[in-house]
Amino acid sequence: MIKSSLIALVAAIGFTAAHAESATYAIEPSHSFATFEIGHFGTSTNRGRFNKTSGTVTLDKAAKTGSLDVTVDTTSLDTGTAAFTKHISSDEILNVAAFPTAKLVATKFVFNGDKVAEIDGNLTLHGKTNPVVLKAQNFNCYNSPMIKKEVCGGDFDATIVRSQYDVSYGLNYGFPDNVHLVIQVEAVKQ
Amino acid sequence: MSVALCASAGLVPALAQSVSGPVTYQLDPNHTFVTFEVLHFGTSTLRGRIGPVTGEVTIDRAAKSGDLRLRIPVATVNSGMRLLDARLKEPDLLATTEYPEAYFVATRFRFDAAGGVKEVRGEFTLRGIGEPLSLVARSFACRQDATLKREVCGGDFDGDLKRSRFGATLGEPFVSDDVHLVVQVEAIAP
Repeated sequence: MIKSSLIALVAAIGFTAAHAESATYAIEPSHSFATFEIGHFGTSTNRGRFNKTSGTVTLDKAAKTGSLDVTVDTTSLDTGTAAFTKHISSDEILNVAAFPTAKLVATKFVFNGDKVAEIDGNLTLHGKTNPVVLKAQNFNCYNSPMIKKEVCGGDFDATIVRSQYDVSYGLNYGFPDNVHLVIQVEAVKQ
Repeated sequence: MSVALCASAGLVPALAQSVSGPVTYQLDPNHTFVTFEVLHFGTSTLRGRIGPVTGEVTIDRAAKSGDLRLRIPVATVNSGMRLLDARLKEPDLLATTEYPEAYFVATRFRFDAAGGVKEVRGEFTLRGIGEPLSLVARSFACRQDATLKREVCGGDFDGDLKRSRFGATLGEPFVSDDVHLVVQVEAIAP
């Protein structure tokens, strides 16, 4: 309450609230991972995690806006099974030699109260770009006692249709077209 | 969609097996992993994958009974970050030198109306401490695998435990005491 009055006052005397509250956060790689989940013959779910993610997020909690530019190193794929990792990385599927990064760029953050609830952006994967909507399962900011800085982050998920990215291997054998993305992210205020 | 696939891939073999007595399946190491999830600073979900898990499961659909024995090599814990993996293996967490394996032994099986496994209840042993654990199927199906020429049964199971019950409390309360287990399992008939 006091904070919003202050912002109103600051805005009234000529500064923009957005400028006053906007902050940049750097993706913290040890707590930021993208995992894909894909059904295996209708029986169980296969998973693979990309171990290297980097990028920046801007967040303006007062104006309830944000943006992000995040890069995932597709060569860092780790499924727990060497043969599976190798196959997915190969030119039959993700072709990480030709497309060593995937990119998520977003300029629309949807807030629910003071928390980010949804991020609408564009995902570039396998050289193709499509819109994607990430829904927050968790979102929170905290002051890290270790690094003495504010950290914001959460859990996000989205379902993408892989054929839209020209990743169509095995569709005719019954491997699903839908892939569920599960994203852990934390980012440190700069 | 996965529900529809489960129904088509699972129902028919399940019924076909219903009069054949107990069948013992060997776990498929390529499709059997345990992932743990803990909430980090109330913000994002930290995950670690353990496996491949080995063991066997006997299912008697006619008698609606089963017997599951899993050996979980906790020293394989993989969070995507080597520093964290090393920390997780220390004596105050997974204690992998003294206890390289965790175990899940379950003999209480619950089946759904279609004959699929719905829940397995048994004892989970971690750091040498045994506690009751229930794994509930999010999905379960059997299929005739075209490559293996064998019946394969499996699914995705969820379980919850409190790590303090096993004496592994490091990092609480910043890292939650509640641990969610996500288990992928597939098992191959003889």
